[in-house]
Amino acid sequence: MNALAIKELLYKIADDQLIIGHRNSEWTGFGPLLEEDIAFSSMAQDKVGQSQALYTILHSMGEQDPDTIAFTRNAAQFHNCIFVELPNGEYDFSLIRHFLYDTAVAFRFEMLSASSFQPLAELSNKIRGELKYHTLHANTWVKQLGSATEESIARLQQSLVYAMPYALGMFEPSAFEQELIADGVFEGEAALREQWIKRIEAIIAQTSLRLPDLRTITAIQGGRVGKHSEHLQPLLDEMSEVFRIDPTAEW
Amino acid sequence: MTVNSLDPRVNRLPAIGVPGQIVPKAPLDQFGTFEVFVQPKEGKSFQHEGIVHAPNLEMAYVLAKEAFTRRFLCTSLYVTDTRNVYISPLTEGNTDAYDLIPEVPSQPGEKVSFEIYHLVKRGKQHTHAGTVLASTPQEAMHLARTAIKKDKTVYNVWAIRTSEIRFTTPEDSDLWLTLAEKKFRDASDYKGGDKLKEFLERAK
Repeated sequence: MNALAIKELLYKIADDQLIIGHRNSEWTGFGPLLEEDIAFSSMAQDKVGQSQALYTILHSMGEQDPDTIAFTRNAAQFHNCIFVELPNGEYDFSLIRHFLYDTAVAFRFEMLSASSFQPLAELSNKIRGELKYHTLHANTWVKQLGSATEESIARLQQSLVYAMPYALGMFEPSAFEQELIADGVFEGEAALREQWIKRIEAIIAQTSLRLPDLRTITAIQGGRVGKHSEHLQPLLDEMSEVFRIDPTAEW
Repeated sequence: MTVNSLDPRVNRLPAIGVPGQIVPKAPLDQFGTFEVFVQPKEGKSFQHEGIVHAPNLEMAYVLAKEAFTRRFLCTSLYVTDTRNVYISPLTEGNTDAYDLIPEVPSQPGEKVSFEIYHLVKRGKQHTHAGTVLASTPQEAMHLARTAIKKDKTVYNVWAIRTSEIRFTTPEDSDLWLTLAEKKFRDASDYKGGDKLKEFLERAK
């Protein structure tokens, strides 16, 4: 198996989870209602935990330890898609991103549970329950607010249109697509994208929302090769503040 | 108004309202409440854990899952609208709640299933005690007195129509698959006391 290809795959998934986990955790204490604040914060914690598990696999393949990987790289060294680094904005955008992103993550790990790369297959099975909750939570909210009031529908619709070009950027192909597919490590971004579209179409069809015509949208890519928006570096600075002050700090 | 907080997220919050002018919230602008019941272990009775606010039964189920079953072992969960919980008269001292439930002659109409809950220790939770078939909640409580075996004084009885409950489906039960490895979420795992002691020693 091509170690370089596997590392690239691990980095992009882990970085996605770390950055969205940190972004979503910015809602802690500010959620729209206490119960939702708890649920959203818990899921953010799950994501950071999953990124740590992936960084640990990378560490076992010779990369640096998880804290060093997470807290000492600069924006250009991150492989997350631009979608996850966008600021939270209002809760409607965070919910739509949660829905679009977590649907993709759940399928990604479902595919990876059959990966020929054993550590990744094992991790995928271990976090199945968490991922299932994340999609249940997202789907239930989208179905609820996507057919509730004129305002809730209009807000979600606007966020959906804004989010879609970035969401498609989640599937930016890797330079190693063919190797990963041939080695049975991962079925590839194109296959994932196809499953993702079917699922979000099915959920959106149960609401008053309209999915933009995906053929007319150009995916906003670049994140996988370290080309990020201006929003990532400030996030990293804030996330790593304690680590930079005291690398031995425990909390 | 400028906010100067150590938390950068607070400093980024948009300004709301006019300083010094508090606009009162509209009354009753909160969601309704739902009662949450949890089964801590396979084979154990469901027990009342608390409430969540939610716009509907399905959202209540989703929110209850994280609010009440994240840290501790759990195999199943269910929720019902608070308005669907019928409660017996409250008791004082050693009075058994069943002694205060009026006798109800057999009621006409279709019999449906009711879940019955008992409070057997004051200050603790109501626990699922059994199921009875009845036409009304009053009849269900009356029937529960003889239909459900009990060896302790029951201080309070609840009855809920089974059909009003959002149960965990077999498909949902994966939700708790990862719980066994969640020790890091338990506050004791952070060993806060030890860290504080260490810090105080160093500060001496």
